[in-house]
Amino acid sequence: MIPKASAIGQLSPWILPAAMTLVLISFLAAIFLGIVGIPARDVLSALSGNGSQEARSIILDIRLPRIVTGILAGVQFALAGLLLQTITRNPLADPSLMGVSQGATLTVTMFLLFTVYLANPDSHSVNELPIAWLPAAGMVGGMIAGGIIYLLAFRLDLSPLRITLCGIAVGAVLHAVAIGLIAGWGSARIEIILEWISGSLYARTWDHALFLLPFTVVGLATLPLIYRPMVLLRFDATVARSFGLSYRRQFSLVLLVSCALAASAVGAVGPIVFVGLIVPHLARFVAGRHFRLVLPLTVVLGAIIVTLGDLIGRLAGGAEEVPIGVVTALMGVPVLLVLLRKVS
Amino acid sequence: MPLSCSQLSVNYGRRRALHGFSLAMGKGEIRALIGPNGSGKSTALQALAGLIKPSEGRADIEGMAVASMSRKAIAKKLAFLPQQPSAPDEMTIAQLVRQGRFPHVGLFRSYDQKDEQAIEWALESTGLAGLADRTLQELSGGERQRAWISAALAQEAGILLLDEPTSFLDIGYQVEVLDLVHRLSRERGVTIVMAIHDINQAIAISDRISLLEKGELRFDGDPRELAKSGLIEKAFRVKGTFVEVGPGKPPHFDVDLLKLLDPGAQIPGGEA
Repeated sequence: MIPKASAIGQLSPWILPAAMTLVLISFLAAIFLGIVGIPARDVLSALSGNGSQEARSIILDIRLPRIVTGILAGVQFALAGLLLQTITRNPLADPSLMGVSQGATLTVTMFLLFTVYLANPDSHSVNELPIAWLPAAGMVGGMIAGGIIYLLAFRLDLSPLRITLCGIAVGAVLHAVAIGLIAGWGSARIEIILEWISGSLYARTWDHALFLLPFTVVGLATLPLIYRPMVLLRFDATVARSFGLSYRRQFSLVLLVSCALAASAVGAVGPIVFVGLIVPHLARFVAGRHFRLVLPLTVVLGAIIVTLGDLIGRLAGGAEEVPIGVVTALMGVPVLLVLLRKVS
Repeated sequence: MPLSCSQLSVNYGRRRALHGFSLAMGKGEIRALIGPNGSGKSTALQALAGLIKPSEGRADIEGMAVASMSRKAIAKKLAFLPQQPSAPDEMTIAQLVRQGRFPHVGLFRSYDQKDEQAIEWALESTGLAGLADRTLQELSGGERQRAWISAALAQEAGILLLDEPTSFLDIGYQVEVLDLVHRLSRERGVTIVMAIHDINQAIAISDRISLLEKGELRFDGDPRELAKSGLIEKAFRVKGTFVEVGPGKPPHFDVDLLKLLDPGAQIPGGEA
C-alpha cells in the first residue's frame, strides 16, 4: 500500500493529489456504506434533499455530521501531534503528552458527576445528561492541563525533556484522579464516560461539527504563520535563536495552537488514541525527504485515517459498533511498528 | 567598532563562569579565544551573541547593546556557530543552509534572487555545492561541520562567532576551515571571534588573542607577545617552549612530554 521510499522521489508531484483523491474516496465510502443498507440511488436522492424520510434522516442527520465531525477531529489530532512532535523533538509525543487527554477526561467526569448528581441524585437516570456541554467541558480541562504543564516547564526554560517529564507526571495524576472518580461513582452513567473515554464518533451531530469547525479553520490558518518557525524549532534552542528565532515566543505559540486543536477535538469526540501519534509518522514516511509535504500530508492523512477507521468500526461491530478509538489503536500499533522498522 | 564588550560577567547558579571579560574587535579582525577546558570560552561567545544574559557588563554590536536587540536583528549582524550543534538527521544540507536566511526573509517573505545567491555562495565557499541534496546523516564529520559553517555564512553577517569549529576534524579539514576563516576576514571584511584548542593554530590564524583562565581574562593582544609571556605554560599547566620555525612564520609551541624528558625509560615488564 505504501510505495517504496526510492520510488517517492519521482512520484512527489503526485503524492498530494493522490492523497486528496483518497480523502474523497473514503468520504464517499463512509456516506454510502453503513450498517443500514441504503441503495446508492437512495443515498444520492437523500443528498439532494429528496428520497424517503428514513434515508434522508440516516444520511443527513446521522452519517454526514458524524463523518464531518470525524474529519475535523482527525485533522486536529494529526496536526496537534505533528506540532508537538516537532517542538518537543520527541517522536513519541501526542496530545496525551501535554496532559490534554487526561485533563479533558477529568473535567468531563467531574462535569457529569456534579451536574447530574446535584440535579438528580437517582443514579440510574441517564435521560437528562447534559451531553451538549461535554465538548466544552473537555476542552476547558484539556487547556488547563496543557497550561499547567507549560507553566511548570516554563520555569525550567522550556527544555523539551522537561516538557515531556512534566507532561507525563501531570497526565498520570489527572488520569488517576479521573479513574478514581469514575470507579467511586459507579452507576448507569458510567457508560457515557466509558464511551467518551474510548474515543467515539457515535451519535455525533452537526453541533459537534460546528463546535470543531472554528478550531480547525483557525488552526489551519495559523499554519503559514508557524511554518518557518516550526522548521527552526526542530533545532536546539541555541541554534534556533542564533538563526534569529524568538524561541520562547514561537515555541509558546505553536504549543498553544496544538493544545487548542487537541483539547477541542478531545472534548468533541474523546481521546482518539494514536491518531496524533501515528499520522505524522505516516506523513513523514510518505513524504520522504520532501519535508514541505509533511504538513499538508498530515492534514490529509488525519482526515483519511479517522474516516476509514470509523467506517471499519461501524461495519465490523454490527449493531454494537466498535468505537473509532479502539479501531485506531488496534490498527495503529502494527503501523507504528512497521514504520519504526523502516525508519531505523 | 563592529563588536565589543566590557566587564561581562556570567553566573551559572552560584558558579561564576565569566568574570569581567572585555573585548574590542576591529572590522575584519580575527580573534582567537584560548584557554583550558571550563575557562569560559563558550560562555564568553554565547554572552557576546546575546544567548545568555550577563549578570554584569554589556556587549555591543556596532555600538548598540545586544541585550536591547531582537534575535532577528542580532542574526542579521552576527552569526554564531555553537560547539557540536545538532539537527534532524533527515534534513538536507540545502535545507540547513536555507535556515541561515531566516533573519532576512522572516516569517512570510519568499526567497528572492539575493537569498538564493547567498545560499549558493555559502555552499560554494564551503565546497558543498555538489552535496546540497545529501541528508546530514549521510555526511562525514568534516562535511557536517562545513554544512553548519555554510549555514552561518548564509546569514551574511558581518560578525562570525565560532565555538571550536575545528574540533573533531582531521588535519585536512582543520586547515580548510582556518583558510576559509582567513579568506572571509581578508576578502569580505568579516569580523571573527573563534574559540580554538590548538594553540599553534590560534597563534597562526589570529590577529589578536584572548587567553582565558577560570573565567578571567589573562591576556589580550598580539599572539607573538603571548608566546613570549609564559602565560600559556601557566594557564595550561604544561612545560614547553616556543620555537621559531622559519622567517615570517609564527613561533611554534613545543610541549615537553615526560617521555621526551626521560628517553631511557622502559615499558614496565617489557623485558622479563
